[in-house]
Amino acid sequence: MVVKRRTAFIVALSAAAVVALILWKPTVLIYGLQAAGLYAAVAIPMGLVLGIVHIVNLAHGEFMMVASYAAYFGCRALGMDPLLAIVPTAIVTAVFGWIMFQLTIRRALKAPELNQLILTFGLAIAFTQSINLIFTSQTYKMPLDYVSASMDIGDLTFGTWSFVFVAVAIIFAYGLQLFLTKTTTGKAALAVGQNPRGAAIVGIDVYRTYGLVFALALALVGAMGALFLTKSAIFPSVGSPFTMKSFCLIAMAGIGNIPGILGASVLLGVAENFLRAFRPTRDWAEIVFFVLIIVVILARSLKGRKS
Amino acid sequence: MLKIQNLDCGYGRMKVIDGVDFEVGTESVGLFGPNGAGKSTLISAIMGMVKPWKGSIELDGKRIEGVETHTIARMGVALVPQERELFPGMSVEDNLVLGAAYIPHAKDGIPEQLEKIFALFPILKERRTQLAGTMSGGQQRMLAIGRALMSKPRLLILDEPSLGLQPSIVTEVFEVLKGLKSSVSILVTEQNVRESLRAIDRGYVLENGRIVLEDSAEGLKTNPYVIKSYLGL
Repeated sequence: MVVKRRTAFIVALSAAAVVALILWKPTVLIYGLQAAGLYAAVAIPMGLVLGIVHIVNLAHGEFMMVASYAAYFGCRALGMDPLLAIVPTAIVTAVFGWIMFQLTIRRALKAPELNQLILTFGLAIAFTQSINLIFTSQTYKMPLDYVSASMDIGDLTFGTWSFVFVAVAIIFAYGLQLFLTKTTTGKAALAVGQNPRGAAIVGIDVYRTYGLVFALALALVGAMGALFLTKSAIFPSVGSPFTMKSFCLIAMAGIGNIPGILGASVLLGVAENFLRAFRPTRDWAEIVFFVLIIVVILARSLKGRKS
Repeated sequence: MLKIQNLDCGYGRMKVIDGVDFEVGTESVGLFGPNGAGKSTLISAIMGMVKPWKGSIELDGKRIEGVETHTIARMGVALVPQERELFPGMSVEDNLVLGAAYIPHAKDGIPEQLEKIFALFPILKERRTQLAGTMSGGQQRMLAIGRALMSKPRLLILDEPSLGLQPSIVTEVFEVLKGLKSSVSILVTEQNVRESLRAIDRGYVLENGRIVLEDSAEGLKTNPYVIKSYLGL
């Protein structure tokens, strides 16, 4: 009863906040939602790797950055639109991820998790610096007309292209949920994550499953790498904030809760854009995720202590 | 079916299994011994989880030392581990289905096999949607046995199936084992020798990594050493 009342209270409070935002600062909600879509679409593949098979990948954002560079130069060489590069980039990134997994992470799986942390942190540095050496720190941007599409509602004008990321995030989240609950390979992935010894006993090739899940996540990262070209310029360190934010979102949603990443992303996106809407707090937007993660984890541990 | 010859293995520099010769045919075999005798290590070696230092393990004439666990499982060896090793966040039914999904000779008959397991353990049918991790120890043990049987094994290995179970469930588990004897080879390790002697044809006693005794179930029941050390009479 108490729980129900509390849930109703939270729902009412959120609804009130949304209504207040629509009336007072509608752009906060619109741009917050768009940012949330991008964050969630990048974080969900990490949610699969970290939450389902428990591999810590600190090079997550850097993998996306490498995919973006590959897509950019591929598109420029072939005169192609980045939207057409989504599938090829996904495939190439998945293969690249599979190879990196076999060469590096696989060897650290049996060791304590700290080893994966250091190993993938090393990968992140290696990726960033290699790109820096080859392409310098210059930024590259795709000139695309359709990304400047906008919409007017009354006095309000806003860009609409970034809603694509919201759709992608929802497709990723529910697609993965279906994969994990309805397919044998998905169930095997859950089994390996929950108990690798038990999985081997029932005939599941544990390392192959780890590799497959990692490659699948990297396929999604690759798709995002191509799509990212429609949103932002790319440069060697463009990926690293996404690693941190993805970690933050997964922790907020709760490890293993992939659809929960969507909700956590909305909270983060709206909070960032709320701070950005006011001059004195504008610079705080980039670090608001630290505050959010502390609040959520504190709240969760207090709740845990009570129950 | 399973033949082990002159097997040595252990962890780090500590030898746990020392020159063991051991065989399981189309029969039900018990492996007895005190805590720390090496029973679980021997089973880990059969399942490819511990690498033998020396000697051979053959399954139907094929050497399997150094073969990976999942390959051994696919060859028809099913293990019910002491720690059950279930998938705690998945339903009873998903746990059972995964018992067969990766076994070439079992994956095509999953619905029929599922019905057989439910007939054997009706409690699993009642709780087919419950998460495995939320069930009692006894129910989890039944689920682990059910999951192993889903793979239609030729050799079923049970590591201390009665450990931590209340006596009525222990009796139920051994009744099930007795019923299975005709269709599958069984290797069972136990500290509860009295209960398991009713379900097996033959047994070995393992102490300090060595086989010290081998006899038929009847022979073990009347052996003065077994009576004194294991039956507590």
